[in-house]
Amino acid sequence: MGFAKRLFVDFFYFLQGSGTYRQIRHFVYNFLENERSKTKKYFDLFMMVLILISVVTLVREVKHPIDENLLFFNYYVISIIFFIEYILRLWVVNSVSQTIITHYENDVAMGEEFRFFKACTAVLQMKLRYLFSLKALIDLVAILPFFHQLRLLRIFTLFRVFKLFRYAKTFRTFTSVFSSKRFEFITLFIFSSVVIIISSVLIYVMEANNPASPVNTLFEAFYWSIVTIATVGYGDIVPITEGGRIVAVFVITAGIAVLAFTTSLVVAAFNEKLDEVRENKIVNNLSHKKRYYLLCGYESIAKEVAKNLSKSEHGVVILDEDPARVEEARRDGFDVLNYDPGSIESYYKLGLDWHLQVKAVLCLRENDVENVYTALTVRSINKEVFILSLLNQHANRKKLEFAGANEILYAKEIVGMVSREFIGQPVAFEAIHALRSEYSYIKIEEVFITARILQRFVYVGDLEAPKFRVVLLGIYKREHERFYFNPIDSMLLEEGDCLLLIANGVFIKEFEKHLKKR
Amino acid sequence: MKYTNALIFGTNDYAKEIARNIGKKYERVVIFAMKESEHPQEEGAEVESFDLSDEWGELANTYDMENTIAFCALEDDAQNIFLTISLRAAFAPLTLVALAKNKESASKLTMAGANKVIPVVQTTADMIVDILERPVVSNVLHGILYEKSNLKIVQIEVQDAEYFSGQYPADIDWSRNHGIIVLSVIHQGKTGEFIYSSKAKHHAIEKGDIFVVVGYEEDLKAFEKLIGSRMV
Repeated sequence: MGFAKRLFVDFFYFLQGSGTYRQIRHFVYNFLENERSKTKKYFDLFMMVLILISVVTLVREVKHPIDENLLFFNYYVISIIFFIEYILRLWVVNSVSQTIITHYENDVAMGEEFRFFKACTAVLQMKLRYLFSLKALIDLVAILPFFHQLRLLRIFTLFRVFKLFRYAKTFRTFTSVFSSKRFEFITLFIFSSVVIIISSVLIYVMEANNPASPVNTLFEAFYWSIVTIATVGYGDIVPITEGGRIVAVFVITAGIAVLAFTTSLVVAAFNEKLDEVRENKIVNNLSHKKRYYLLCGYESIAKEVAKNLSKSEHGVVILDEDPARVEEARRDGFDVLNYDPGSIESYYKLGLDWHLQVKAVLCLRENDVENVYTALTVRSINKEVFILSLLNQHANRKKLEFAGANEILYAKEIVGMVSREFIGQPVAFEAIHALRSEYSYIKIEEVFITARILQRFVYVGDLEAPKFRVVLLGIYKREHERFYFNPIDSMLLEEGDCLLLIANGVFIKEFEKHLKKR
Repeated sequence: MKYTNALIFGTNDYAKEIARNIGKKYERVVIFAMKESEHPQEEGAEVESFDLSDEWGELANTYDMENTIAFCALEDDAQNIFLTISLRAAFAPLTLVALAKNKESASKLTMAGANKVIPVVQTTADMIVDILERPVVSNVLHGILYEKSNLKIVQIEVQDAEYFSGQYPADIDWSRNHGIIVLSVIHQGKTGEFIYSSKAKHHAIEKGDIFVVVGYEEDLKAFEKLIGSRMV
């Protein structure tokens, strides 16, 4: 390999290995293309404001004098910003260094000389493909008002509006709705074009030789056809010959058909996309949520759990592959996605940051096979997340443990234990259950000792719980994983300790305020 | 009240778990299987057949209904309600515990005469939510209630009220003086009140009151000696 080629390849290896280069490229990519990036949202908003300024300036310029500075901003500053954006998009849309290196390594692997021109052609093709894409063309047109001295190019300012499709998700959804019915729309377009062409020629033939007819040119015939087929019917051009009117009858009938077909197509396309639009909205909203419960399945116990958890500060997101259950969860007012909880793809679609976003995964299907499968799927993606699972058949407990569930609940065993306790000590049983109940005014609550609380309270006695008519049942010391019942006043408080308090809910709140007061 | 017989109606997993958990507390545990269903082989439990159309009055010849507790744990809610209402109609003093799938069935079972209804779905869901939202509370209460820790919860009946003569439960420093925590107190013939409630504050301790107390065995025994005896 020649020196120049060697240098060329080395340069791209250097780029590929450079942390700074990768960081900058990644930053620009997030800024322009990454839907999940926060900075992109601000950038999009900024660009939309620029577009709005452009259009307002254009409209106002028609009849009013515009400040020179604003014109300068509109034609030069905005155009330069758009140009920079255009270049940056061209840069990040695909990686030149990656393409060159791949070609080089392929050639080396095949034992051939590095084909420099082939690699360059591939890069060029890649970039050209982007440059001729609709999005890139719109971007280019948006820069043209820079040359506003040419009056025609000034009108391109209006085309900047099309750039909104890049920045507003709603616009993109709108485009995708139409592109999903592309074939039907093309068929409709061909049909309408054929009707318009035939009717234009026919009306011209029928009317043009009649001196009283307003149709004198083929363009007027064409104009009449479009106005008629669109069912607009301005009435400025009307056929006066018998032949012309017969043509009009056919065109009007075809017009009704075209209109009906178009309406039904648009409605059908939106209906089909509605679920996808809703799903995208939920996924998008979820990216802002933190520490929510991912609930897999929506059957009887799951419904009750979802209802109770929705009252907590953490939200609930339900995944279920059954459309009927998904619909039910939606009616109950939950964020629900028709995703299979047992499929890895479902979690990738959600783009989860497990550590920040997911508090726990709850496998609540009333089928152990599904729960084991879901637990295993989640565990294969993330080793840390807390998984709680329902157990339906005692024989499957080991399988769930093996699949990685941290907590397993066997409903039948719970019922057995509840029965035992109820028959043994019914009064004590009811007392404990009343404490746990959300409807009881006497509550049992957890209060965690923070560094801030420790600044004022060192020992248990310092808390002065009895003064607030609060009973300290005990302290759970996380470090020792031990619960200290009825602790003595001289016990040292530590950060992370959990106080278990029993009292009227109002008194507990007052006590908490007292602890957290500076 | 100390029951001697336990009758469990149903052969599903719930019924089996009930039999497993309560088996040691009764002299006689009998599982009643529906005639057409499979008869279970539960260790330490007798198995008998029954039909919903049976004449229940005959049971009184075999079991002392005042000292018997019955668990209605049939799979089908409608059958379970029918069974509960049949047993209540036949035996007024019988203590009936019934399982319900949901809230709707739970209220029907109460109307049908069950003394205690365990709503399966709700109980499980509440436990899941407690584990997730209040793990420490859940862990501690679970340990106390289901005897999985050294801490115990007991009911103590006041037999000697002199020690606390004229005192109100809320005014006594139970934890510092006796090493226990009193959760609730039931005055004779009245409903239970948490001692922190305003009602309990205005009621002096009397003979016959029942205290629900949490503590370690030694402290509980000492407290028992002081005022009365543990209810089992």
